[in-house]
Amino acid sequence: MKKTLLVGAFFCCAGLLYGQTFSDAIMMKKKEICFAFMFDQGKWDQYWEGNTLIKNMNIGTFTRNTYMPMIAYGITDKLNILLVIPYVNTESTGGQLAGVKGFQDVNIGVKYEAFKKDFGKHRVSALAVAQFGTPMTNYLSDYMPYSLGLGTQELTGRIIGQYEFNKMVYLRGSVAYLWRGQTEVERPYYYANGSYYTTYMDVPSAVNYQAILGGWLLNHNLRLEASYASLNCVSGDDIRRWNMPQPTNKMEVTNAGFFAQYYLKAFEPLKGFSVMAAYSQVLEGRNMGKSANIIGGVTYQFTF
Amino acid sequence: MKKIFAISLSVVLVIAAVTSCENDLPMFFKFSAYEFSGLDVDGGSWQPILFSSADDIVIDDPVAVNSAEYQAELAALKSATQNLSGSQREAVEYWTNNPAIRWNEIALELAAKYNLIPPPNPDGSYTLPSPANPQGPPPFPFAHPPYTSRMLAYLSVAQFDGLIAAWYYKYEHNRPAPYVTDTSIPYAYKKNSLPSYPSDGAVIATVSRDILKAMFPLEHDYLNAKAEEHLNSLQWSGSNTTSDIEAGKTIGTIVKTAALARASTDKMSAAQTPRPVSDAIKQAAIDRFGWSWDNQESPQRPVGLTPLFGQVTMWSVPDVEDVRPGPPPAPGSAEFQVAANELKSIAKNLTEKQRKIANWWSDGLGTYTPPGHWNRRAKEYIIKYGLNPLRTARTFAYLNMAVMDAGIACWDAKYYYHYPRPIQTIPGFKTILGTPNFPAYTSGHSTFSGAAADVLAYIFPPETNAVRAWAEEAGESRIYGGIHYRFDAEVGLAQGRAVAAYTISRAQQDGADN
Repeated sequence: MKKTLLVGAFFCCAGLLYGQTFSDAIMMKKKEICFAFMFDQGKWDQYWEGNTLIKNMNIGTFTRNTYMPMIAYGITDKLNILLVIPYVNTESTGGQLAGVKGFQDVNIGVKYEAFKKDFGKHRVSALAVAQFGTPMTNYLSDYMPYSLGLGTQELTGRIIGQYEFNKMVYLRGSVAYLWRGQTEVERPYYYANGSYYTTYMDVPSAVNYQAILGGWLLNHNLRLEASYASLNCVSGDDIRRWNMPQPTNKMEVTNAGFFAQYYLKAFEPLKGFSVMAAYSQVLEGRNMGKSANIIGGVTYQFTF
Repeated sequence: MKKIFAISLSVVLVIAAVTSCENDLPMFFKFSAYEFSGLDVDGGSWQPILFSSADDIVIDDPVAVNSAEYQAELAALKSATQNLSGSQREAVEYWTNNPAIRWNEIALELAAKYNLIPPPNPDGSYTLPSPANPQGPPPFPFAHPPYTSRMLAYLSVAQFDGLIAAWYYKYEHNRPAPYVTDTSIPYAYKKNSLPSYPSDGAVIATVSRDILKAMFPLEHDYLNAKAEEHLNSLQWSGSNTTSDIEAGKTIGTIVKTAALARASTDKMSAAQTPRPVSDAIKQAAIDRFGWSWDNQESPQRPVGLTPLFGQVTMWSVPDVEDVRPGPPPAPGSAEFQVAANELKSIAKNLTEKQRKIANWWSDGLGTYTPPGHWNRRAKEYIIKYGLNPLRTARTFAYLNMAVMDAGIACWDAKYYYHYPRPIQTIPGFKTILGTPNFPAYTSGHSTFSGAAADVLAYIFPPETNAVRAWAEEAGESRIYGGIHYRFDAEVGLAQGRAVAAYTISRAQQDGADN
């Protein structure tokens, strides 16, 4: 039971560090439920205009706060569902453009464990995740970088593989493809390497890679991870010189981060809870802010 | 296994759902060649803008229809219409029998491409685009609203004068269309009795290419390629023989020369002033009114956008001061406070509808600007009402002369009154639109729109209510965006309509209404 709790909480919160959910190798058992609340604050004072890193004092330091309540549930031992409802607010220290706040995109996912096998001290597992996100409110995507999100439906297909040694260290990789649809904007014309006489923009689809090295300390109460990840749009245009970004842009980002999670299972009244903290830094980008993110959160898990 | 199948199936279904609602995004206005609502047989007698009459422009007489030379041209044309490739057929379909529409779209696209404000240098200074060094950086031009209004005015005026001359010679010589003389020649568009010499399409291709090349010096290759395709499509479509096209090119060259001569002396080259001139203009406002506008960007732009655009030669208004409005309420006055409080209240309680109106008309950096927005509306009406190429050119010409004159009048007021923007007068005020680099009073959007709407109402009377409502909404949009006070918008709208009254009075006397 102890182990189950631990594993479930782990699942709940992994992957948030990288701006995605649903990307670890852990499954919750049947009828286990986990609630989590995360806070993610990203700040940047430089961004890539195309491939050129620039500063813009009319933005100054840009802040994006994301509040993420999550629920995960085990339908069976091998099939889990997840739900995230992010709330976002944005602001900047420079210039006079107003920040925005509101609910962003509801995300629902299903995760399937296709394979798990132990070879002595070695464990290998493979999983598949399908995730669907859609805007919860009629927010304006065409107000970047302040906008809450890209304002489009997004369907992610992900494959995860993990190797674990002696239940102490693990190496995990995942690959995902993010199909994105169109976003409706509020102007009847825009330029994206040519004229568009429409209120719709094609939001470029993207490919995501992730590599994680993790391990357990303090009698399996503390989990540490180091990550390296990228998210690259497969098409799109560049931000033009000293112009606003727009949802058609080809966004690319590579980041590295650290993650720590401590389980309070030794403290009887708080059994079922964990606390977590993370930090990540964008290393390379295109049409993106050079963001540093700090993340904090708590999780609580129990079985029906 | 069953589960894997179920998951895969649902993934496929969701992908299908996501992709099936994707529209094919239009990059130009979709319309086909159409039947003209009239041919304006007397169009050659209309009053041109740059010439005293059509016969100021002289072309050779055509050879006789039964001459061996013309018969050879017909044979060549017939062969050019045969076995068209896919791209040739696409070109015929794209250019249609009213190609000024396409050149207007090309002009709008270049406006959007070049409507980028120069960035600051690392030392905080700004380098301005220069026609002497078009590559820059920054590239020339910065196709801001005054620049774009002027570009569209010269383009449209040259198209109009060129087609008046084309009409004059068409009915002077009455050379029948190729498919009339040789019924075996196919014609891709709607047949009519318009004589074919000189080719109106070739006039449009030539003047449009050459005016736009002067306005966008980095786009010569692109414009040459567009014009070549357009000129070829006149043969692929069976519209014109070689001599029709050559005569059209001759007219086009004469007209564009006159248009660019006017452009070179209209004082636009002095509109973007050096700093001392700009400072003197500002000081004059401080002396006169006790207030002034300051750019709020960081680093601060030392000179506003085209402070002397208000002195550029107007098309139809004798003196810009004839349409200069009275002064705005002084900052801090009770009347000002009402307007400022309205902005604060809107910013605090912005509705989705207000946000949408602000964005719908924002037409800011990187777009075709408000003049472009009104050209796009005009284009849609031109097709709706089946206007022929000559009436099309006339519509764009009067629209764009009025819009440019409105811009000149508005800029005169902007720098005469040098009125500060809301982000300057209201501490801590935040907006959903970027505040432009020029004074507030009067609102450019409102002035452009007031003028454009009245010209369109004159040309398309059934649309009067619609276009006036749009103009008011365009003015209102700047209040919702937080970048203009209500009095900027209201006075700007009236100023634009006052300008349009001159334009319309001129149009009423050009012979087209007879």
